[in-house]
Amino acid sequence: MQVVAHRGVLCVMEEEKSVVVGVCIRAATPDRLIQICVENFGPDELDEQSEEYCRVFFLMHQWFMKSEELAQAFIDFYQGCDETITCDLPDCQHLPINDDCPVQQYKVKICRAVRYWIQQNPVHFAMDSPLRKATDRLGQLLLAEGNTKLKQLVDLSQVPSYDWMRNMSVRNPSNHNRKVSLVFNHLEPEELADQLTYLEYKAFRRIHFSDYKNYAVTASLKENPKLERSIGLFNGLSQWVQCMILSKTTPQQRADVITKFSNVSKRLRVLQNFNTLMAIVGGLTHSALARLSKTNACLPSETQKTLMEFTELLSSNNNFSNYRKVYHQCVDFKIPILGVHLKDLISLHTALPDRVEGNLINFRKMAQLSLMLQELTRLQRVDNIPVDANMDLVNTLRLSLDLNYTEDEIYELSLAREPRGSVSSPTTPTKPVMFADWISGVSPPDPNTINKHVHDMVEAVFKNYDHDKDRFISHAEFEAIAGNFPFIDSFYVLDADKDGMISKDEMKTYFIRANCHALRNSFKHAFHETTYFKPTFCIHCTGLLWGIIKQGWKCKECSINAHKHCKDLVVMECRKGMAAKRTDSISNGSVSNDLTYSAKRKISQRHKQAQLLAQSSENKAGSNTGMQNNQNNQKDQVFQDDGPREGEFYEEQHLLYDRWLKSEEAREQLIAENSQLRARLEVANDQILILKSHIGVIRQNTIAFILEQMDALHMQRDSEV
Amino acid sequence: MKEYKVVVLGSGGVGKSALTVKFVSGTFMEKYDPTIEDFYRKEIEVDSAPSVLEILDTAGTEQFASMRDLYIKNGQGFVIVFSITSLQTFQDIKTMREQIIRVKGIEKIPMILVGNKADLDQQREVPSSEGSALAQFWGCPFLETSAKSTQNVNEVFIEIVREMNTSPMKEKGGCCQIL
Ligand SMILES: Nc1nc2c(ncn2[C@@H]2O[C@H](COP(=O)(O)OP(=O)(O)O)[C@@H](O)[C@H]2O)c(=O)[nH]1
Ligand SMILES: [Mg+2]
Ligand SMILES: [Zn+2]
Ligand SMILES: [Zn+2]
Ligand SMILES: [Zn+2]
Repeated sequence: MQVVAHRGVLCVMEEEKSVVVGVCIRAATPDRLIQICVENFGPDELDEQSEEYCRVFFLMHQWFMKSEELAQAFIDFYQGCDETITCDLPDCQHLPINDDCPVQQYKVKICRAVRYWIQQNPVHFAMDSPLRKATDRLGQLLLAEGNTKLKQLVDLSQVPSYDWMRNMSVRNPSNHNRKVSLVFNHLEPEELADQLTYLEYKAFRRIHFSDYKNYAVTASLKENPKLERSIGLFNGLSQWVQCMILSKTTPQQRADVITKFSNVSKRLRVLQNFNTLMAIVGGLTHSALARLSKTNACLPSETQKTLMEFTELLSSNNNFSNYRKVYHQCVDFKIPILGVHLKDLISLHTALPDRVEGNLINFRKMAQLSLMLQELTRLQRVDNIPVDANMDLVNTLRLSLDLNYTEDEIYELSLAREPRGSVSSPTTPTKPVMFADWISGVSPPDPNTINKHVHDMVEAVFKNYDHDKDRFISHAEFEAIAGNFPFIDSFYVLDADKDGMISKDEMKTYFIRANCHALRNSFKHAFHETTYFKPTFCIHCTGLLWGIIKQGWKCKECSINAHKHCKDLVVMECRKGMAAKRTDSISNGSVSNDLTYSAKRKISQRHKQAQLLAQSSENKAGSNTGMQNNQNNQKDQVFQDDGPREGEFYEEQHLLYDRWLKSEEAREQLIAENSQLRARLEVANDQILILKSHIGVIRQNTIAFILEQMDALHMQRDSEV
Repeated sequence: MKEYKVVVLGSGGVGKSALTVKFVSGTFMEKYDPTIEDFYRKEIEVDSAPSVLEILDTAGTEQFASMRDLYIKNGQGFVIVFSITSLQTFQDIKTMREQIIRVKGIEKIPMILVGNKADLDQQREVPSSEGSALAQFWGCPFLETSAKSTQNVNEVFIEIVREMNTSPMKEKGGCCQIL
């Protein structure tokens, strides 16, 4: 091997036993690593050993230098050739035509190295415009020298576009004439698993080398949106599984959903999609579900067995040995448990330094890391994924998974379904706890993403359910779809104009709001118990807040009202300042900006109707069955009831008004008293200051006195001596 | 020989891997392979009883919320780590004991609280007294460690073995069972 010395001192340590077959460099400077790489590209094909080295080098260089820096280094080597390479040919001008000239031969090696880089890692070039520019500079240099043959080697026009890093193309999107239900209850487990796999793979294949590296190095998801999205999907899916189960009211219904998800898991195992499998099994075995002993008693033994097997397969025991064994036996398409492989990366990165012996790149570490990263990047390039995507279903599911609950909220739901102290679990602790901060690293999807997801989902729903294409779906159709979104509000909340049908806009507005609510840490309502002086309706169930005093709970910030038992289920964000705008019924939100004439008419009708209902339903104690009744009937009823009730009502109000006046008086008295006390406090503070200064003077005097006394004693002693 | 499963928990970047790697590898280990089964197993002798520790380092998976319950189900003793240089990491772990109790369904669980990066005393954000107070509240030992200087690294694992010996976890019904 020709040793060429330039750009400072070169240094290299060789391996005695290599980690990766063929890689016998232990550590070296970046320049030396680049040189070794170039040397490998002789006139012949790369042999196995050199190939291995170059593969690791090009894959891993981003760990210790930018790609554009590497490209620049190739340019520098190229330009330095004339001085660093000795040519003994007589009268050689080292021109492209001089085939035997060592300078030219070295230039060919450099260009072949760059070509190998482009061929093996086209994605580097597709995603990195500074690198493309540097490569173009090399191309210009070659042209300027008249080296057109070499110019072709570093040509980037053949690099694929890698659109899938942004959008994944769908395989055979046209052959989906088969009818698939978008409704969870009707959805086959296999179908669900397929669509989840599509979503998973789409998120997984976008994660770039640099995303893995940044996560390993910083141990944080800051500025790592692709990885964050993938992890968000993972957590969203686990939560969706839990919420779908907890949204069912009877243990048998919940057990049925668990069985369904266990069948989804079986299919995921067949698809070799281990990441989604982990998310679902993690959800199914979560402590919020594991404690539901009544539900678990309803599970068929087949389901129990399946779940047991999968828990075993995914167990962290012996460093996930069961999973690793099975995973390595899988060939072709597979999706790894991202968490496990990230953990391996981080362990390795923590255990081994990037630089050794001063400032040499620890190439042995690079070789080890490359084993993990090569596998991950290879899996991302599989083109024929074994599932057919149904975009309508994908869009519906994707939005279901955006919903972002805290662990705490889910646990509360679990406690509400099967309270403690029943036969279920005598040993569980008695205090609900907060989890939220622990996973605070993953933020919910940003509003733009959610808007897009909502848009796609609603379009999908209407495409499949609005059979007569009038841009409305009915109550029954809505109820079916709503099952995919646990804990969304009732039909009546969505049907803002109360016409018994839901329009596209109503549905979009609703879901965008519901999702804003997912950012609920900052949007939580400040509910307090309230006495209402006129009939008021619950924002959640639309029923009347009944009773005479303390009928319901009002949000201090946005003034929405709800039943005690409904207030925790409200899916609407708290907007400060909405209080003034909000009337006694729900607001129209953004729909009102582009109201058509008929919509306006509907709204004014609705206001009338609401007022009438307000009065009529007071004696119906919260039932909302009257909503769709014939208006005239209601009017009659209202006029009959009017007189006597109105009187009672005002009496009550009068009493309360009196009380309020009294408490206002009391408040003013307290304020006055408070300011008096403040004044006194100030006076007292002044006195303290004066006293402090007195103390100072006294202390000085005391010290002076003592010193005098001591002096006197000293003198006395001296004179005695 | 007794076998113990220990889970190391804490926010990202507090030094879970650093502590674990220091402990399992001692001062020298030429070739690391974190993917093999034996990588996280280590024999130690505690109070003249030899035992094997199987350590689960959760670094890198902190964000995968639903994997955590699976870890906790598998663990017998818990090393809960924060960094003395970050108050946030101390806040993060305050609910950890409750979470473990929730998953395990029992109150008495062998655990130890660890304040890592003690070598960075000049950047300290969490006073020792706060760590001790939380440990006292939890009824568990507290140690300050440095994975860098190896201060107290072995002691952490010795202590957790002692904890597991004195209060062996009885896995009884309730919510420990897997469905
Ligand atoms: N100074 C100092 N740094 C540490 C110590 N422990 C870990 N680190 C560093 O903190 C960073 C994160 O450590 P790591 O073990 O990956 O944290 P993990 O995410 O909890 O596993 C790394 O850069 C370590 O080198 C320690 O005791 N002292
Ligand atoms: Mg409508
Ligand atoms: Zn020449
Ligand atoms: Zn209600
Ligand atoms: Zn509010």
